[in-house]
Amino acid sequence: MIELFDVTKRFGEEVAVDAISLRVQKGELCVLVGTSGCGKSTTLRMINRLIEHSDGEIHLDGQPVRTFDEVTLRRRIGYVIQNTGLFPHWTVARNIGLVPRLLKWPRAQVRERVETLMALLGLPIEEFAAKYPHQLSGGQAQRVGVARALAADPEILLMDEPFGALDPITREALQHELLDLQARLHKTIVFVTHDMDEALALADRLVVMRQGRIVQQGPPLELLHEPVDDFVASMLGGDARGLKEAALTRVRDRMLPLGPRLLAHERVAVDVPLNQALSLMLWHRVDRLTVVDDDDIPIGELSLRRLVGSKA
Amino acid sequence: MQQARSKPNAVLLVLMLVGVVAWLTLPAISVAPNRIVPGTPQRAQEALGWGVALLATVPMLGVATLAWRPFTWHLRAALVLVVGLLAAMPLWLSGVAATLEAASRLGLGSALWLLLFLWLLALIELRARLALSRPLGWALLLPVLLAWWVCLMQWLAPLALYREYQVRSDQFVGAIGQHLALVGSAVGAALLLGVCLALAMRRRAGVRRVGFGILNFLQTIPSIALFGLLLAPLAWLASRVEWLAALGVSGIGWAPAWLALLGYSLLPMVRNTFVALEEVDPAVIEAARGMGMSQRQVFLQVRLPLALPVVLEGIRITTVQAIGLTAVAALIGAGGLGTFIFQGLGQAAMDLVLLGALPIIALALMVDALLSALADWLRQGGTT
Repeated sequence: MIELFDVTKRFGEEVAVDAISLRVQKGELCVLVGTSGCGKSTTLRMINRLIEHSDGEIHLDGQPVRTFDEVTLRRRIGYVIQNTGLFPHWTVARNIGLVPRLLKWPRAQVRERVETLMALLGLPIEEFAAKYPHQLSGGQAQRVGVARALAADPEILLMDEPFGALDPITREALQHELLDLQARLHKTIVFVTHDMDEALALADRLVVMRQGRIVQQGPPLELLHEPVDDFVASMLGGDARGLKEAALTRVRDRMLPLGPRLLAHERVAVDVPLNQALSLMLWHRVDRLTVVDDDDIPIGELSLRRLVGSKA
Repeated sequence: MQQARSKPNAVLLVLMLVGVVAWLTLPAISVAPNRIVPGTPQRAQEALGWGVALLATVPMLGVATLAWRPFTWHLRAALVLVVGLLAAMPLWLSGVAATLEAASRLGLGSALWLLLFLWLLALIELRARLALSRPLGWALLLPVLLAWWVCLMQWLAPLALYREYQVRSDQFVGAIGQHLALVGSAVGAALLLGVCLALAMRRRAGVRRVGFGILNFLQTIPSIALFGLLLAPLAWLASRVEWLAALGVSGIGWAPAWLALLGYSLLPMVRNTFVALEEVDPAVIEAARGMGMSQRQVFLQVRLPLALPVVLEGIRITTVQAIGLTAVAALIGAGGLGTFIFQGLGQAAMDLVLLGALPIIALALMVDALLSALADWLRQGGTT
């Protein structure tokens, strides 16, 4: 559990982070989102003391971070940054094994851990272990970055715009992988991004920041429905909020079992989000879709009326 | 691809044609009856007759012809021809030497120097075109060096350069030793001091400003002037401090030379080290800190290894520069290969000058090649 109590950071006269309080529960994926310069990265870096906070207190599991030795503290916290920060003169395997080696794990155990992580992140060992970072694609390099952060099995993972430099397709793939990983590993994650779609897709708890302050925080759906002010509303997409919300709900949640009517011609998979289902309806000019499972077998139907969630 | 390859290789063509013209029009050798009298220049055809002179143009024209259609196997054949030419030069000289009287001295003329230069350029061009590895490139020079060595031992006694060497063979080895010792110790000290200075400069902006100011200023003083400036204070020190005098420190000799070399070496060393350490990707350093590396670990395991190729570049520049500068240090009695140059200048004996100058060039090239190879090897770690 990470707790921030009235944490402030001043750089000279300038206040970068202004008395923010935040609690990230164990196993929660908390996304800090905001425009550049809003203090989200600074907040993240104060947690592992790459930046020291000026006022207030930051606690990990109830203990102030200032009481830890900073090097020991950082070895307990995974850290992923935008440009991967992989060491260009080390192989992939050596990069991933960094923190376990710093913690003086026995050699065999380090190797075993590196192999486990490479398997976990879909990096075949024979192909990648001996490669150098400059031989990797952006997506591969960032997978190595995540593997390195997870190497010593830290409870907490700090991610600073980790997918910001990737192309949209790779980025989306890695977002899905992160969610899969999180479903298995249950880390406490603080994730910084300026991309609202990314934030909505990943967050258990969404924290919107502006000028060093937290404007609103809560589950993504709650923020979509009840933004506290125009700033949050516009951050969340303004009038396009309906589509953003639809992206968070799956067809499964709105479909009806197969009725007596004839099957609709167009089909939709049960696990796609509602915005895609809506797009299919618009594309085919229909108001009814047959819902199919992974094996393409019809299991239900979705009408436009159900999709938009009208009660009538 | 085929199209591009069948375009004539202009470099080789020009080199070879210039070579043929130089060979037939410029003096190839000079022959003097003894050391004092200036030699009479002779062209190739005057030395051993037209037959041999024209025969020698055949391989050059051959290379030019092959270069007209530079397929890989054409270039390989050209490579063999060029190596053959380089190895044949001492043989031709041996032939000339056989016709001379016992006391005469044989000097290399402008044609031969030019040809050596052109052929070595051709070798470099071919090595690049054929993408030969560095060791293989060096291996190509082996037969050439072997040919020169055998000819020198057997038949080239009249070669003036060789005569100058024979008279001073002990002195020559000693001079190379002195030269290398001066360069090695000065560059070594500059490296130690330079790294310390660069580290201090990274800590404090004040040290950086003052440090670079002084070093830049040092660099602008002409070397001879610096030797002169050091004369008085060192002589004074040596007269006051006994153990310094016992060490051999005095106004002239190795001490001022060493100090001047150190001064000149510091700027390139400090600048390269400083820039190298400074320019390591901040994201990498940030990650290293974020992973929980201590300051020491960040420096020793990340910053330093990543900076090393550039630091090595500094060592290379400094060493090559110092090898040249040490030649001047002979003026104040520091010894080294420069001694021969200044003796030769004093006696108007150009061959003696060459005896000093050629090894200096060879040393500089060797150090350059060695340190470049080392830097390449370090870079293989994946930084490029």
